[in-house]
Parts: sequence; C-alpha cells; structure tokens
Amino acid sequence: MNEAVIAQMVASGALMGMVYALVAYGFQLTYATSKSINFGQGELVMVSAFICLTLTNLGLPYWLMVPAGLLCGALLGLFVERAAVRLALEQQSEGWILMTIILGLLFFSAAENIWGRDDRPFPTPIPADPIRVFGISVTPVELSVAIGVLCIMALIELFKRKTLLGRAFEAVAADRDAAELMGISATGTVMLSYGISGMVAALAGILVAPITTVGPTMASALVLKAFSVAVVAGLDSGFGVVVVGLVLGALESLTSYYVGSGWREAPGLVLLILALAVRPAGVFGKAAIRKV
Amino acid sequence: MLKRLLLILGAEILVLAVLASVPLMVDNSFVLGLLTLLAIYGILLIGLDVTVGYLGQVNLAQAAFLGLGAYAAGLAVTRFGTGMVPALAAAAAVGCLFGGVLAFPALRLEGPQFALSTLSFMALTTTALNELESITGGAQGLQVPRPPLAGLVLEAKGFYWLCLLVLVIVWLAMSNLLSSQWGRAFEALRDSPIATDAMGIGTHRHKAVAFTLGSGLGGLAGGLYAFNFQFLQPQVFVYELMVILLLGVVLGGRKSLWGALVGAAIIVLLPNLLSNRVLFQLFSGIGFLLALVAGIRGIVRKSTGPFRALAPVIAMGLLTAGGMVISNTEDWRKAIFALMLFAVMVGLPEGLMGFASRFLTRLFRIESCPLPEPSRLDAVLPVKETGSGSLLDIRELRLHFGGVRAVDGVTMTVRRGSVHGLIGPNGSGKSTLVNVVSGLYAPTSGDIELHGKPLPRGSLFRTARMGISRTFQNLQIFSELTALDNVMVAMKGICSTPLPLVLLGLARGTERRIQTDALALLEMVGLGTEACTPSRDLPHGSQRFLEIARALARRPDLLILDEPAAGLAPPDVARLLEVIRGIHGRGMTIILIEHHMDVVSRLCDIVTVLDYGKVIAEGKPDDVKRNPAVVKAYLGGADGPGEPGLVSACEAAPASS
Repeated sequence: MNEAVIAQMVASGALMGMVYALVAYGFQLTYATSKSINFGQGELVMVSAFICLTLTNLGLPYWLMVPAGLLCGALLGLFVERAAVRLALEQQSEGWILMTIILGLLFFSAAENIWGRDDRPFPTPIPADPIRVFGISVTPVELSVAIGVLCIMALIELFKRKTLLGRAFEAVAADRDAAELMGISATGTVMLSYGISGMVAALAGILVAPITTVGPTMASALVLKAFSVAVVAGLDSGFGVVVVGLVLGALESLTSYYVGSGWREAPGLVLLILALAVRPAGVFGKAAIRKV
Repeated sequence: MLKRLLLILGAEILVLAVLASVPLMVDNSFVLGLLTLLAIYGILLIGLDVTVGYLGQVNLAQAAFLGLGAYAAGLAVTRFGTGMVPALAAAAAVGCLFGGVLAFPALRLEGPQFALSTLSFMALTTTALNELESITGGAQGLQVPRPPLAGLVLEAKGFYWLCLLVLVIVWLAMSNLLSSQWGRAFEALRDSPIATDAMGIGTHRHKAVAFTLGSGLGGLAGGLYAFNFQFLQPQVFVYELMVILLLGVVLGGRKSLWGALVGAAIIVLLPNLLSNRVLFQLFSGIGFLLALVAGIRGIVRKSTGPFRALAPVIAMGLLTAGGMVISNTEDWRKAIFALMLFAVMVGLPEGLMGFASRFLTRLFRIESCPLPEPSRLDAVLPVKETGSGSLLDIRELRLHFGGVRAVDGVTMTVRRGSVHGLIGPNGSGKSTLVNVVSGLYAPTSGDIELHGKPLPRGSLFRTARMGISRTFQNLQIFSELTALDNVMVAMKGICSTPLPLVLLGLARGTERRIQTDALALLEMVGLGTEACTPSRDLPHGSQRFLEIARALARRPDLLILDEPAAGLAPPDVARLLEVIRGIHGRGMTIILIEHHMDVVSRLCDIVTVLDYGKVIAEGKPDDVKRNPAVVKAYLGGADGPGEPGLVSACEAAPASS
C-alpha cells in the first residue's frame, strides 16, 4: 500500500518535473549564447498562458491557438532581449540581472491588472480521465506535458545541429569573438536565442496551465524550481535538466506528502544552494578553466 | 582638502541636526513615523549597498535578513523577555550568522549564480517563517511589545532618536571601513577577482566579510523594524520588498552612504506618493520632462546611444500616461516601481547621488583628490643586496590540459638579482609556465621552489603571499578605482589593522602612510600626475605601467612581467626599459616574458627559450639568438643561414596580445 502511494507520488511529481526541465532549458538557450538568463522567465510563461486563454476565449481552436501562443512567447522573448539585456551585454556589465527582474515585475503587474488576480481554468482538448499504467494512475494531460517537453527539446536540438542558423548558434555559444570574426552576427544570434527561449516559455505555459490553472502567480514557484534545475544540472547540459527535473519533481511531491505542503519548495532551494556550494558548474556541467 | 572635508562634514552635521530636531518642532505622529522608517531603511540600505555597490553583486536576500532580524528581536523579547539592547544585538547577530552561512557557498559565485543563491535563500526564509508556526506564529503574525531601553520606556519620539543614533553609529563605522583598505579591496574584488588574488589581497575573506557585515546591518534594521511596527508577518519580507530595496539603492546611488539615505527617503515616501493621485501625476510628469531633456541632450551631443536616450523617455512617458488614465495607482504599484527602476537603470546608472556629487564638485570647485607628498622611493622599495645563488627553482614541471602538453618537463633556475628572459614562439607555453608559477594553475607534476621552499600549488593568493608578484598580458586592472587606489589596495601590510579598529576609525595613520608610499611607486613608473584618474580612463600604455606599479606595491622577492611591452608605442617602450632598469637596479629579481627582441637583449642577463612546452635553449641573449634550434623554432624547418638570427624573425612574427 505504502509503496504504491510512493510510486504514485514519484510518478506525478516527475511528470511535473518535466515542466521545470523545460523552463530550465529556456535558461540554457540564452546562457549558451550570451551568458545571461531571463530572471523574469516565469512571467513570460504566465503572460503567454494568459494570452492563449484570451485567444481561446475569442474562439480560436486549440491547435491554432498553440502556434499563435508560441509566436507571442517568441515576441516577448525578443522584447526582453532588446529592452533589458542588450545594453548590459554591450557594456559587459551584469545589469541584465536587475533589468530582467524589473521587466518581469512589469509583466506581472500588467497581467494582474489586465486579467485579474484570480486563477482561471485553462481549456484543453486532451481528456482528464486518469488511465492506469502499472498500477499508477496518470492523466493524459500529465502525459501530454512529458511528450510536449521532450518533442520541443528534440526539435530545438535538431535545429541546432542540422541547420545553418543552428550551427551559427552553436558557434556563438562556443566562442563569441571567433564567430563574429567568421561573419556571424553575435547580436542576431543572441536575439534568436531569446526568441526561442520565449517560445519555450510559452509552450511551458500552455502545457502546464491545464494542471495549475492560469493566474498571475502561476509561475512564480515554477520559475524558482526551474532555476534550481538549471543550476543543479549545469547551465550547459540539455540532458542534465531532464534528469534533474525528474528527480526534483519526485523529491518535491514526496516532501509535500511527508513534511507538509508548505515545504514543497524547500528541496529545490536547498539543492540549489548546495549545488552552488559544492559544484558551481553543476552536476552535468563542465567546469571552466580560469583564463587571463 | 580642507574645503572638501568641511563641506562633507558640514552637510552631515546639518542633515543630522535637522533630522534630530524635527520632533521638537513638529508634533505630528505621521511625520515621526516616516522619519523613524527613514532611519531604519537607511541602515538597511547601507548594508545592501555593501554587496550591490561595492562588491557589485546583485543581492536579493536583504529583505530576508530584515525579516530574520525582525523575528530574532521579536522572539528575544517575547520568549526570553530581554531588553532593547540585547534584542537588537541578537537581531544583528542573527543577520551576521545567516549572512555568514550563506556567504560560504556564495563565496565562489559570481553574477547570476550569486543572485540565484540569494534569491533561493530569500524564498527559503519566507517558507520557513510561514511554516514554523510554533516559533514564529506563521501567517497569523507575531505581536512584539517594545521593550524598555535600560529601564527607560521609549515613546515614539524616544524610539525615533534611538533609531537615528543607531543610523549615525552605522554611518560613521561604515564610512571608516569603506574609505579604508577594506573598502578598496571590496571594489578591487568586483573589478578583477583574479588580480585581487594575485596581489595577495584575498577574494574570499573580503567577500565573506562584506556580505556578513551587510547582512548583519540588515538584521539590525530588522530589529528596529520589529520594535517600530510591533507586529510581524512573514508576507511582508518578500520579493516585492526586495525590489523596492534595490530601487532605493539604485535610485539613491550606489557606493555612497548619502545614496543609501536618499534611497531610504524615496522608499519611505513612495507609498504616500502612490496613494495621492495628483501628487503622483505631478512627480511622474516632472520625471518625464527630466528624462526628455536628458534624452534630447544626449542625442544632440551624441554622448549616449539612441537606446539609452530613448528608453527612459518611453518608460517615464508610459508612467505619466498611465497616471492620467488609471485611477487605482495602488494596484499598479509594481508596474510603477518597475518603470521607475528601468528608467533610472538605463538613464541614470550612477543614481541621484552620483549625479549630485558630480554636480556639487563642479559647483564648489572642489579638487577631486588632494594629494600628500610622496614618500622617498628608498623607503618604499629599499635597495636590496642581490647576493648570489638561485631564487626560484623549477624542476621537471608539467601541466597537461587533456592531451595538450602546455608545459612539458621544464627545468630552469632563476638567479637572485637577475633579469631572466622567457621567450618562444606563440603557443610555446611561456604564459602557461608563469601561470603555473604564480599559482593560477596547479601543475600536473613537478616542483617549484622559492628560496628553497616549495610554493603552494594552484593558489594565486598564497603564492602572492610567499613573495611573487606579477602583471598580466591581458590587463587585469581594477578599472573603477583610481590609479592611486589600484596601487594602494595592493600595498603589502593591507588589513594589518583589525576590523573592529578600522570600524572605529583608528586606521587613518596607516592609511596615510600607504597613500604616500603608493604615490612614490606611481612616480617611479611615471604616473605621478595621473594618480587621481580612474584607471579605466588611462591609455593602454599607462595601464601597463600601472600594473607594474601595483605589482611592486607587494614588495615582492620575484617580479613576473608578462609581455609588458605588448601594444606599447615606441616612446613608451623606451620608458619601459628605463623603468625595468630602475627596478632591477634596486636588486629586484625579474622574470620577463617578451616578444620584443630588442627589449630582451637590452635587459636580460639570461634567456630561456621555450617551444612546445619544452626548454630548447638557454644562455646569454646574443648566444641564444644564434642558436640553430631557436631559429628553427621561430622560422620553421628551413635550414636558413644562422646569421640573420632572431631579430628579423621576431619582427616578422606578430606579437601575441
């Protein structure tokens, strides 16, 4: 009996962990090209979900709403890059940390006032009746999260490896100066990475909204855990985020079961601080050599 | 000097007198409440400024330290029935304690990782305060009676004066600390952690002290906060408060006590500004006009790019337009903070006080940096007996990066009092060799001994403390410090005064001595007149000389110069020759990596040539130049005539930089 409960907890926690992995993957994309991440990524997830909700309410069918939502996410990502990141990168300062926090706050406040403070249900054509796999009950919605996350990550990795633009992306990630000398626009590539990252955030919003409902605070806990996943895995390991995301998701649902639901954020936060203390480059990351 | 001191001191005393006498003149509990908050936030922001301004790291945990301090003081009173002073001490101690605990992992972190670990700490604190209901009362809140101060029951006025007194003490202590070697070290650490270690200043200790101290001030402010409101709830100490605190520091002006005070005033006034619509429209309109004027000026004078000129105007424009349309400014307060912060970050990165201090300096024609007479050079850098024998022994040193053998079994000896040249084609391992010797990299195998004692492996800091000092091929100056401060911060004997004495202002004597010594070194390298220039504004050549002066401030036994002539104009190269001769004349042992063969020939007593990480030749410069193996290494396999030698080869090869 007890084991069945634990297995159930682990499974549904791990499926939620896939969303953390997806948001964390969005951090990795921008970190690769610019060594910067959007501290307001959670607000992108939330605003995209709200926009999708509005589009659905306007009568757009689900399968048209998804690409429209992704486009909005990409545009928001580009806006963040232009308004908050580019100037700081040009000055080689870390001002982007504060600037992205500021933009996140602006998005949050706008959403709060435009769409209201209440949580709202998010319609989805995927059925919610649980199905049983090896004695564990899983809803198709939860499964769609895992499938969606793996699909988009595979697509982006394929894009990076197989297309010319993707190779340019990898070149800038490997050595920004050398790539610029080869005629690749680093600024353009950073823009691209923020665009894709915004798109990834929008997808995370669409996938998770049917489970969490849509509200201004829907992503504030999510993004903290995504930070933990990204840092614990290492900011350069796409494979790592999936593994760590699964583990953290499972750990969290066990914590909330055994310790109390108020503590469910704690394991991620503790893991993050520990990982930074013991292995700042992350479990799956490569430590950089100090150069002078 | 006197004028500057009088003006600053005068302003401080004037503001203090006004603040202290307000309750005597106005009997208004609302005003008194605002002033009390001003003092509390002033302390809090001074603490936050240590990490955000001086260390240059985004610290998102200060709201958590405020909360921890508040609960510590509250619990000390409610659970243990302590008086005011022990409760405040407990609050500060809890701030320091948690700050110290967090500093330990955060020590190794930079930029985003540091911000993330502080962000996590804050979220964790909020969770703990909410969930540990048996201790904190959870979301229900905690009633905190205001305890008596040494038997004295404090009413609102008395409590305000107490807060003001604490602020004054904190102000004096921090101004002592931040103008001392500690303050300079904090800033050095921000600009180049590698050079901070290489100058034997020590990044970890300073980072830990700075962060712990800032957190302690956060805790102290929390204690006062608890006794001011007499009711605590966890949801006060959250993300939003943290953003407001950052707004205070950035808007007030970083790296400035005055900035913290101005920032605190803004934070205190903000809620009142937001609740009064007319006032809000007025202020946002003024802000918009200011941004517009600054933007137009920037574009006309071409002093700023279009983004920096336009973005603040757009942000303030949005704010003004929003203020006209929206009736419930309270609901939009996060967006309002965000837009204000955005406009300030882009348009006025130095903050109000940074702007004001530049303006006032011009207005009162204050010399920016009065200088004393420099010390005698002989006192700073005494002429040493050169003696004989070896100073540095390298035996079978290897460093492999995976399959690359960057240093592959190097054995060499540097004799006391010599100028030892280290040359070789690009990628031959010269820089890597000195990076191993100076402790940046730990060797794969082999021994390095200085004075016959083994050197620490892979620690810049401890190697520097053993008496090796270096310059960097890719310059690592402390760019936001002045030239003088760059040298002062590296002076040996830094932090010889214990921290408590520095806080009490008892380090001024040493301070003066360090300053005159540093000036002497600057004059020696020809930068005496540039002492007050921010080092980032110095031309490239001067920055190279500055690095030499800074390395000498360590009074090292061995000085390593890594391509000091790279990128220098010919007249500067001539000056460099003079400077190095001068240093050598004082008995200093020098390792010189150089591509300019004429520099090497004129300065070096002995030259070691590296290729593919191995020593291929060693001897007097002229002999080495004719060595067939050396010629082959530079020119490739061709069996050219031995005579043309290395001079032409070096001219053909571009100097690496």
